[in-house]
Amino acid sequence: MNPQEMKPQREAWYRSKTFKRFRRNPLAIVGSVLLLGFVAVAFFAPAITAPQLAELRTARPCLRDLGIKKDEALSALRNPLNPVFWKATLAPPPTCYEIPRDGYSPLPKPPSEKHPLGVSGGSYDILYGLAWGTRTAFYVGFLVVGISLAIGIVIGGLSGFIGGTVDNLIMRITDVMLSFPGLVFVMIVSVIFGSGLTTVMLALALIRWAGYARFFRGDILRTKAQEFVDAARAIGASPLRVFLKHVFPNAIGTLLILASMDVGSIVLTAAGFSFLGLGAPVGYADWGQMISFARGYILGTAQGTPFDFWYVWIYPSVMLVLFGLAWNLLGDAVRDALDPKS
Amino acid sequence: MTTFIVRRLLQLPIVLLAISLLIFGMMQFLSPEQRAATYAKTEQQAKNLDLIIRQYNLDKGFVVQYTTWLKAVLRGDLGYSKQSHEPVLDTIRKKLPVSAELALYMFFPTLLFGVWMGTMAAIHRDRFVDQAVRVFAIVGWSLPTFVLAIWMLAVFYGYLKLFGIGRADDSIMVEFAKGTLKAYTGMITIDGILNGRWDVTYSALKRLVMPVATYTIVASAQIMRVLRSSMLDVLNSDYVRTARAKGLPERAVNLKHARRNAIIPVVTIAGLMFAFMLEGVFFIEIIFNIPGLGQWAVPAAIQLDFPAVIGIALLTGLVVSVANLAVDILYGIIDPRISFQ
Repeated sequence: MNPQEMKPQREAWYRSKTFKRFRRNPLAIVGSVLLLGFVAVAFFAPAITAPQLAELRTARPCLRDLGIKKDEALSALRNPLNPVFWKATLAPPPTCYEIPRDGYSPLPKPPSEKHPLGVSGGSYDILYGLAWGTRTAFYVGFLVVGISLAIGIVIGGLSGFIGGTVDNLIMRITDVMLSFPGLVFVMIVSVIFGSGLTTVMLALALIRWAGYARFFRGDILRTKAQEFVDAARAIGASPLRVFLKHVFPNAIGTLLILASMDVGSIVLTAAGFSFLGLGAPVGYADWGQMISFARGYILGTAQGTPFDFWYVWIYPSVMLVLFGLAWNLLGDAVRDALDPKS
Repeated sequence: MTTFIVRRLLQLPIVLLAISLLIFGMMQFLSPEQRAATYAKTEQQAKNLDLIIRQYNLDKGFVVQYTTWLKAVLRGDLGYSKQSHEPVLDTIRKKLPVSAELALYMFFPTLLFGVWMGTMAAIHRDRFVDQAVRVFAIVGWSLPTFVLAIWMLAVFYGYLKLFGIGRADDSIMVEFAKGTLKAYTGMITIDGILNGRWDVTYSALKRLVMPVATYTIVASAQIMRVLRSSMLDVLNSDYVRTARAKGLPERAVNLKHARRNAIIPVVTIAGLMFAFMLEGVFFIEIIFNIPGLGQWAVPAAIQLDFPAVIGIALLTGLVVSVANLAVDILYGIIDPRISFQ
């Protein structure tokens, strides 16, 4: 018989039972739609905020770095045939993440034609902050998950591959990491390296890897006990080959899926640190920073009219909660679908 | 059982030592001058850092430095906080009761509410109650503590004017400052009773409503999820079927047979939650203007007040280790099947 035919055909992922379970879950659909919305906002942020970029003087550094004049901004940023559109969408200069302001008045102004969602204290445009803040959210989430996942896979993999004393030692270290609150860790890293969004991401990655390492080690040990691994060993494959060819690829799937669902909770956590003033600086397009900056306006003016400046704090906090909700709905459905008992 | 507790207690110093090593290791990123500055209390001393460097062995090898630092920590010398203008230990002593009081009032409602929701969801699996509880859990899980706290603040304090912020009415705080009310424990609800002043306790309790409600909504979801899934497992087991078959009332089956056995994972999560509550406490203190550890430590971190942050980190390590110990001991009390070899 042709050896090719002996190989069992792998089922396409979209026909698998797991995916069917996922697809039939209404909460999963809601989560996916919400998330697609956020992806669209993040992708089209330059096009959405083109009027603000064209009109506000403080947006000039961003336009300068994109290499356009203010008169051509509106047409260039909304025309997919223009190379500037793609530059702004795919690789915008860092200056574009500074929220442009319309003057320096400390009083927020309600939504108007020029500022569809109003301006916050210090005249920062809220729509701009929300749209570009969506990019910051994805950036923070994916980067932290990526880094901590990489560390977790390497360390968890070593732990499961080598075993024995090394395994024991690594697991004790993860014990300590897992039982240390992230906020305190971020505070320590902040006093050492200074606060900022990079510090928050670094600290989160340095504390998150432990969970992934543990999870991956568990999956490796489970995979190692399966028959096809025994078979590979029996035909004389070296331990390293058995590990890299047979154990590793079969153990990693669940970890990758579950870890990617952590993006939401990471963004919520990072926003919390920004709220405390440990993250992004004032004026940076980051939802947590915007809520933090809005703190003084939550109770309105001294006359006791608490919802006078509602647009300053409600918009960013609703964005943040919806973002977290989208990921959690999705994550919950994924966990249900992966659970063989359901 | 006793042997187990003793052995577990003996492990505690080892864990604490490991945590202190971790924190001290991170401190090594700073230069000796920066670390010496943490002990300087006056301008004079700040100019004479060499003296402090020599006194605390900051220019010696790692082991000497570590033992000197550890001895100072054990003596209670955690350095001087620029943020509070006093030694770190004094500030912690003053602020800890405030945060601890808040944490204790937050912990039990969250736990009870989570257990109740989890039980209801498991008993009514896949029916309306279950779906409602699950949606509530996901929403609560997606609400960061600080977001819900500012929404609460705007609605119940700003708009409806139902609850105040801070710890108690201003007049009461003035009485504490003047000394007409004595701060025996530093926990205002208890001090009110000790002073024989129910109005003080009432005022403090009323101001705890918003913080406690906020945290309960945000954090009970986790407890509920764990209890629901572990109770579903137990409800499918043979002895539950036996209990039903011999005609026990449904309530007894659910609560005595099923929940009692399903609660063990909840103990683990509750222990972890207690250790992690510090985060929630910090956010809530800052938003609801409660002068506890968070109101001191978070600005301290921003102002690069190094000793304050290290003090908080050491305190956290202690709380986490003790919480883990308590969880291990609770296992034995709840589930006699767990043997302590």
